[in-house]
Amino acid sequence: MLKRQASTSDGGRTVHCTHCGRAQEVARRAMSVFCVHCTQRLIIEDYTITSYHATRMFATCGDIVVEKSGFVSAPIRVRQLTVRGRVQGNVEARGCVRIDRTGQFRGDIVAPRLVVADGAQLNGYLRIAPSSAGDRMEERAP
Amino acid sequence: MAADTGGDFPTIIGPDANFKGELRFEKAVKHLGRFEGTIESKGRLLVAEGASLSGDVKAETIDVQGEVKGNLHATGKVCLTSTAKLEGDLHTARLEVNEGAVFVGRCVVGANGARPTQESKPAAETKPAVDTRPQADQGRDRAAVGGKR
Repeated sequence: MLKRQASTSDGGRTVHCTHCGRAQEVARRAMSVFCVHCTQRLIIEDYTITSYHATRMFATCGDIVVEKSGFVSAPIRVRQLTVRGRVQGNVEARGCVRIDRTGQFRGDIVAPRLVVADGAQLNGYLRIAPSSAGDRMEERAP
Repeated sequence: MAADTGGDFPTIIGPDANFKGELRFEKAVKHLGRFEGTIESKGRLLVAEGASLSGDVKAETIDVQGEVKGNLHATGKVCLTSTAKLEGDLHTARLEVNEGAVFVGRCVVGANGARPTQESKPAAETKPAVDTRPQADQGRDRAAVGGKR
């Protein structure tokens, strides 16, 4: 089951486009918008994954939490990712990727910060350096 | 007068030391200087903040606080602290990465990571762990390799 949650911050907020990487202001209650720079549709919700979820691209300007019972098989573009279950796919994150001790990750990670708990399983190519994912997204910008 | 053994570390490579070659030890080494070469051990290696290490390391436990360029293989645990910079491949049973650590390279963590491996290729030459291209592209590759499906 895929649960969607409204983001909890107050007032307007800044999100970065998952396609071009550029920043824009969005309303507090907005759940999706069109990027003012590249006109692509952006999902800005947070997701909690508790079951199997496979897709061609899983992109959100919010956060994703894959719970212990969750399994995501997809390339992911996200702000912050927390893995307590299984993830198979390449990840580009603007914030922190956390793999808890029950987490199993297979794929490549490009992110500014990575936290791996003792006991987690991880297999892939990692590029963990400040603002690395943001740079990659901005390179793709038209 | 007893020598300063640095707590748990019977051997310390000091901050002014510049070491080239092959290092083997049994218990634990705290590395504070510069090192070029290979390290093999059944014990613990600590690369302290400000220290640099260039080369391959095999040990049970590796703690990185400084800079490492090379492949790490640990049968136990690797810990990258917030000041760590690691450029190279990493094979270990358990990994702990703190916020702020910089890591570029291939990583295998878990039961598979602790197993001895063949000579690992440079990170840039290795394939990605998951092929996420559209299925049409993957099918084209299979057809090019040969064989009807």
